[in-house]
Amino acid sequence: MGLMWCVLAAAFLPLFPLSWLFNRAVASLPVGAVQGGAALLLPQLGLALLHWAPAVQAWPRMEREGGMVVATVSALLYAVRALSARDLGIWTRLVLSSGLATIWLAWWAGTPISALRVMALGWSLPAGVALVLTGVLVRRAGGAYIGLQGGLVAVMPRMTTSLVIAVLALTATPVFSPFFALWKGLGSVPVAWLPFWLPLLFLWGWAAGRLFQDLLFGDYRGEPVTDIGRAGVVLIALVFVASVALSFAANGGLL
Amino acid sequence: MATGLLAILVPALPMISAAILLAFFRASRRPAARLSVAAMSVTLVLALTLLVHHILVGSAAQVEPLGSFGSLWIDPLSLVLWTFVSGISLIVHIYSVRYMVEEPGYARFFALLDLMTAVILVMVSAADLLTLVVAWFLVGVLLYFLLGHDHRRAAAGRYAFWTQITYRFGDLPLWFAALILIHTYHSVSLPVIFSRIQAAPHVQLWGMPVPELTGFLLATAAFARSAQFPLHIWLPYTMDGPTPVSALMHAGIVNAGGFLFNRFAPLFEHAGWALHWAFGVGLATAIIGSGLMLMQNDIKRSLGYSTMGQMGFMVMECGLGAFSLAVFHLIAHGFFKASLFLGAGDVIGDARVHDGVPPDPIYTSVIERRPAKPSRLPLLVAASLTVLVPVVVLSLAHFFVAEHLFFEQGVVVLLFFGWVTGAQALFAAHKMSRQDPWRLMLGILASFVVIVVGYTLISHYFGNFLYPNEKMSLALYNAASIHRLSFDALVLFLAAMFVGGWALTFFADSFELGRDLGGRGRSVYLGIYALLSRELYVADIYERLGQIVVHGSRRLNVWLGWC
Repeated sequence: MGLMWCVLAAAFLPLFPLSWLFNRAVASLPVGAVQGGAALLLPQLGLALLHWAPAVQAWPRMEREGGMVVATVSALLYAVRALSARDLGIWTRLVLSSGLATIWLAWWAGTPISALRVMALGWSLPAGVALVLTGVLVRRAGGAYIGLQGGLVAVMPRMTTSLVIAVLALTATPVFSPFFALWKGLGSVPVAWLPFWLPLLFLWGWAAGRLFQDLLFGDYRGEPVTDIGRAGVVLIALVFVASVALSFAANGGLL
Repeated sequence: MATGLLAILVPALPMISAAILLAFFRASRRPAARLSVAAMSVTLVLALTLLVHHILVGSAAQVEPLGSFGSLWIDPLSLVLWTFVSGISLIVHIYSVRYMVEEPGYARFFALLDLMTAVILVMVSAADLLTLVVAWFLVGVLLYFLLGHDHRRAAAGRYAFWTQITYRFGDLPLWFAALILIHTYHSVSLPVIFSRIQAAPHVQLWGMPVPELTGFLLATAAFARSAQFPLHIWLPYTMDGPTPVSALMHAGIVNAGGFLFNRFAPLFEHAGWALHWAFGVGLATAIIGSGLMLMQNDIKRSLGYSTMGQMGFMVMECGLGAFSLAVFHLIAHGFFKASLFLGAGDVIGDARVHDGVPPDPIYTSVIERRPAKPSRLPLLVAASLTVLVPVVVLSLAHFFVAEHLFFEQGVVVLLFFGWVTGAQALFAAHKMSRQDPWRLMLGILASFVVIVVGYTLISHYFGNFLYPNEKMSLALYNAASIHRLSFDALVLFLAAMFVGGWALTFFADSFELGRDLGGRGRSVYLGIYALLSRELYVADIYERLGQIVVHGSRRLNVWLGWC
């Protein structure tokens, strides 16, 4: 019965192979804003399902370790896959899937669901912003395949700055909440697991670096496009300020 | 209380300046530059005030503005590095006011410089592991955006990416070490962890003492930051970034490795094997960096490899237990390299006017009526001066200043390298063509004595300031010591290698050896030349590995339908 709740939750709080359903569902939504909303809500739904599963301490050790292995493989698999993604929407979903797998790790290590909710929100917020901006880009430039146009910062500086901050946050850069979520997650697992999880930081940094190459550098080769408005930038900035404040507040115990 | 407030202001001022620039001065060039320079000047004054206060009356203290996260450690190391970093940063700020004036994103550039300075100031004074990891991580991120400041240049982006990826690789061992220390000693506070290490240095993890294991990890993190072989390739290629950033990077940021060794000095007292490893890597880096420097024809890349060689020396000093000397070295090298970078433009300008090609010997002899062959000292005199004078001067200077450390292995090896460097300088002076070789040699000898005595005195008093507890200095030297027989063999081998190298160079130069290399000799020579001119193929290997991983990633995505 406990396993069934976990399997159900894995479709919403993505864990390979059920993460395929999560990614397919988010990608099929028509508007960027709706995709962003789904990225916020679905992991919380997954955590709600996980709430019904038996407490971690009640699971046999073998099953707990098996669960941690699946979470590790899932996180690494999606991080590696993000390296070759050039479409902003796909890239965001892959990195989000990788990041949310760390929530499973923390859960198997016995972190309470209330703390996991905040950690999941930490990953979902920047991903939500990135997906909303992807939608805007698709609407204005005809697609979000970053390598196609190159040097987007020259024509859409506000949009690009917002995207860069979202990508940095999503790849666990301090002082955004995913960084603290990861720190807290890794701090709660046995040391033996660390060598398998730390490469994630490298892979996310690599994936972000490849994305920035196309986003920031070189000449823009696309059609003329209009940038997002100042109000949008202020709204996005507020989201990130809230995210940082949330992480500081939520991780107070650890800090 | 007042000292604590001042201490918080040191990293806070540039942070506030950056926030104001980004919020209000994005379009105003002159006010942005003025504000940034003013904030940096005040930061330097505050850092100096705190340093002087500490010298006169102070003792180490901790400031905790946000609880244990964000805590600052106001000890001699932090205060010295605060003054050094804010000094270098102020020079770079002032230089950038005019240098960057025609560049787009002027205010953004100053904001990034301010942020970078603030983050480095936090990093060197972090009193807890989380703050240290956060600041360490952010230095890499900010450097990426500083190096890629000019978005129009794809090459700037490419090399900024190399830097970012190497830095990120180096972040992993620091994370790992930090998490192991927290798991083992149940605290994030560095002073608490160090006191617990002193109390229980033999706690084991995976069959290895925790200080030794974390010592290896910390050394690896330091290697990536300080461009140690084979994690060096980003450093010489970052010249596509703005010159002020190159100056800041080579004078300040790249020294982070030396800082990390010093910050964790109480841990390295119990990590002898990690120190030996650092010595080996530092030695290899010093030789490779200096060798590759000699092959470059681009002044900035040559400076890049020179920095790599110097960083090798710095890490080697740490590996020998001479931690305070490494800090002295990084400060001296920082100011020296900043001046070279900021003056590189003038050198290039001069080279356009005076090509610097040596005059033809026939022209010198026939038209200028000067001897075509250089006038040199007799071979025996030159060889005696070259080999003996540095030994005598260095030994006497160190013996009178720090007799109690004189027979420590680390000190002996440092004296050995001092001898090599001094002898190399005298040997180079001997090879110069001058009308009056005695005058030249005496001038060089006088300079050598002044430099050695000055350096010895300053480094000794500086070492006492950084590590007032003499037992700690001795413990570090002891940790870095190896078996007596191995040590003697190593010194003899290195001495034979260097003397042999000088002899080979001298005779190759005098008798034109190697000019008529046969078929096999020539192919070996060309092979070595190709290897060195391709910089040992390190970048090519990394690129190929990267391509393989990305190709695998693409295939995975195709199989899984990009979901």
